[in-house]
Order: sequence, then structure tokens, then C-alpha cells
Amino acid sequence: MAVLEMNGIHKSFADLHVLKGITLHVEEGEVVAIIGSSGGGKSTLLRCATTLETIDEGSIRIGGIDLDYKNKKTLAQIRDKFGLVFQNFNLFPHFSVRRNITEALISVHKMSRDEANSICDSLLNKMGLADKGNAYPCNLSGGQQQRVSIARALATNPEILFFDEPTSALDPELTAGVLNVIRDLAKDKMTMVIVTHEMNFARDVADRIVFIDHGIIVEQGPASEVINNPRNERTKAFLSGMRN
Amino acid sequence: MNTELLWSTIKQLWQGFGYTFGIFGFTLLFSLPLGLLVARGRMSKNIIVSSLVRIYISIMRGTPLMLQLLLVYFGPYYLFKVSTGNINIGPFNYRFIATVIGFSLNYAAYFAEIFRGGIQSMPVGQYEAAQVLGFSRMQTYFKIILPQVVKRVLPSVTNEVITLVKDTSLAQVLAVTEMFTVAKELASSQVSVMPFIAAGVFYYIANAIVEISMNRFEKKMSYYS
Repeated sequence: MAVLEMNGIHKSFADLHVLKGITLHVEEGEVVAIIGSSGGGKSTLLRCATTLETIDEGSIRIGGIDLDYKNKKTLAQIRDKFGLVFQNFNLFPHFSVRRNITEALISVHKMSRDEANSICDSLLNKMGLADKGNAYPCNLSGGQQQRVSIARALATNPEILFFDEPTSALDPELTAGVLNVIRDLAKDKMTMVIVTHEMNFARDVADRIVFIDHGIIVEQGPASEVINNPRNERTKAFLSGMRN
Repeated sequence: MNTELLWSTIKQLWQGFGYTFGIFGFTLLFSLPLGLLVARGRMSKNIIVSSLVRIYISIMRGTPLMLQLLLVYFGPYYLFKVSTGNINIGPFNYRFIATVIGFSLNYAAYFAEIFRGGIQSMPVGQYEAAQVLGFSRMQTYFKIILPQVVKRVLPSVTNEVITLVKDTSLAQVLAVTEMFTVAKELASSQVSVMPFIAAGVFYYIANAIVEISMNRFEKKMSYYS
């Protein structure tokens, strides 16, 4: 069953036609990596899927719920179905790590504090941050902050997790910890859509690679095919550019 | 120097200081929340609301506070023939009430611009993170945005609070017997500048207390950056 169904998505900013009819379906347990040059529309696609941008045309369905911007109830339901990890984390700096993870559980999902804390503890364990619950984001490295934001996105037990260039804001030596966490999630059959520039990582972790350029899906398929033997000229040009 | 005279001067100034502190306290109590409201209005997407608020701020900042006080005090009678002589709220007569209204309206305009700067300096990512986590607009505002804004605006707010301590002396134009009014009367009856100097010491001590408390508050907020 498809967890995410995006059909014929169009999106423009003023005169700029960014998404020109993109259709993307993601199956349960599938890991999809979206690659492409900057300005090609990959981040916009992710922002549309996560309700941060409204689409001009097309339809979006996540976890069986149709997105309808006018219906507040389904909008809230759909936001429960996914988690989003931002490029620059967007942790709440005035909250401790623990509160960053538990606040939505307590004040949005009306969970008890004990229940939320136990979810938080198990997630921090998983992220290798078991002793950081009381720390504040400013005291953590970028890699640790990103792992906290992954824990925050996972706390509500979403059906699908979106990543917007999760390692782009990190120093190279800090990316490994974050990528390993995502690898572990892939092993646990978490459904994920990852916008990334890390080609090796994409090849390792993704079941399917989607190459987006100028607002359309130019090429997609298993990682080995798209990255190792691209068929489309634009894909070839993009990948050879990445290698240099 | 006559210590007895000094002592009686200090005692009388201290009595006046009650009003000074009253103007200060009530003004903060009303102008801070009002300023937040005005800031919201200033940022409203409704052009009529934001324009009206913009004009309000412009007038409040562009004309003397002393003039505004006189207008609040005399306006009701001269403009609408409403007698204000019998208006009392608890122990406060209309002189004092008009002073607090004038100060609050004026300071709200300044606070509003400070708050607006703080709110607009918040990264959009904070709103976006809150949105995808399902926080309501109210929760986002009160749990995520406002606490961070408070920290950001603290130095500018301290500036205004210190100015307010000194501005309370403008209440003398409505003959409120706050400390400065008392000092002026004492100076002329004693034919001496000593009451002015004593009043200056009072203002300075009051502001030293403001500074120390605000510094402490800033330090308390420095657990994150």
C-alpha cells in the first residue's frame, strides 16, 4: 500500500514554475532518495508533501488521508501521519532535548508526561544520546542536534519520515552519525523520503532513486541503475558533476 | 549642612516616591501587554488595522509625552464637556489615572515596536517545525515564539524601563505629587538645590535596582543561546 501518493503536483512561486506535474508514490517500508541540482524543485516537493507549501494543482494523500487545506481536521490528521527532519534542525532552543521531543506528545497528543518520557528515553537511546535528555540544543554538536530532531520527528510514531538534506548543514566529520541513524531506520523498514546530495549514502540506503530537474522527474529506478548506469543525459551530466 | 532638614526632605521625597512608583508600576502593568497587542496589530495582514496602528505609533512617538498627558487630562472636559473631577478609582483621582493612561498609551507604542522587532527576528523554521509537529497557532505563539522573543527584546526593554523611571517626573505637569513635584516645591521653599540632588539620588538608586534585576533576568535566560 502506498503511504505517500502525490499526483500531478504543480507549484509556482509568482512567475516561477517550480514543480511541473510531479507524480510520486512511496510504498510502505520503501526508502526513496530524491536527488537533483539546487533549484530543481526537490525541496519544494518535500515542502508541499509536508503542508509547508500549498500546491496549485494535483493531489496529495498520506497514510490514507487526502490533503484538503480547507479542512482543519484532516490537515491535523495528515500532520500526524508524517515526520519532517529539517536541513537546519529547527530545534526549539529554549527547550531541553527532552522537552523538544516530548512537548508535542504532551500538549498536542495529550499523552501523560510519564508516557512521553518513556518514548523519549527509548528514542534517545536509539540515537546514541541517552545522557543528553537534560542538555540544551546549543550545547550539542550539529550531528547530535540533527539526531535529536530525528527523535523529535519519530516521537509521534509517524508512518513516513521526510528528510530535507539532513546532512547539508553539518561538518563532514559529523555526517556519519546522522547517516548511520537513517541506515538503522531503513533496516527497521521505516518508510522514508530523503532529499540528499550524498550520492554514496543514497546508493547504500535507498530502494529507489528519483532524479528531479527543472520541476519534473527525469529518471527514477533502483539505486544501482540510476546512479551507476543513468540513461538520461541530464542525469548523466548531474552525476558526473557531483563526482568532480 | 542641616541634618534635620535633610532628613525631613528625604522623608517627604519618599512619600512622593510612592506616586512615582505607582506611575511606574501601573504603566508597566498596562503598557507591556498593550504593546504586545499593538505589535500584533502592526503586523496584521488586515491593511486597515495595520495602517491605523501605524498611525497610532507614529503619533505616540512623534509628539511630546507631556503634551499627551495634558490631552488625556484636559481632553475629556474641553472636547466632550465630561467632568473628570469626580472620577476616582480606589485611592486614585483623575490626575493620577490620566497620568497612567497617558504613560501606558505612549510606552505601549515604544514596546510594540520592540516586540515587533523581536517577533520578526524569529527564524521561520521555528514556526514550520511547530506546524508540522501539530502545535496550534496559540500553542506555537505562547510556547515556542513568545518565550524566545522575551529573551531577544530584553536589552531594549531594559532601556525603556530605565527611561520610564525618569519620565515619571513629567507627571508634575498634571500636579501629581510624585517625587519630582515634591522636590521642586522643597527646593523653592528651602531656596536650595539639595532637594534636587536628593531626588536625583532616589532616581539613580531606583534605576540601579532596575538594572540589577534586569541583568539577573538576562542571566537567567542565558541557559540557551
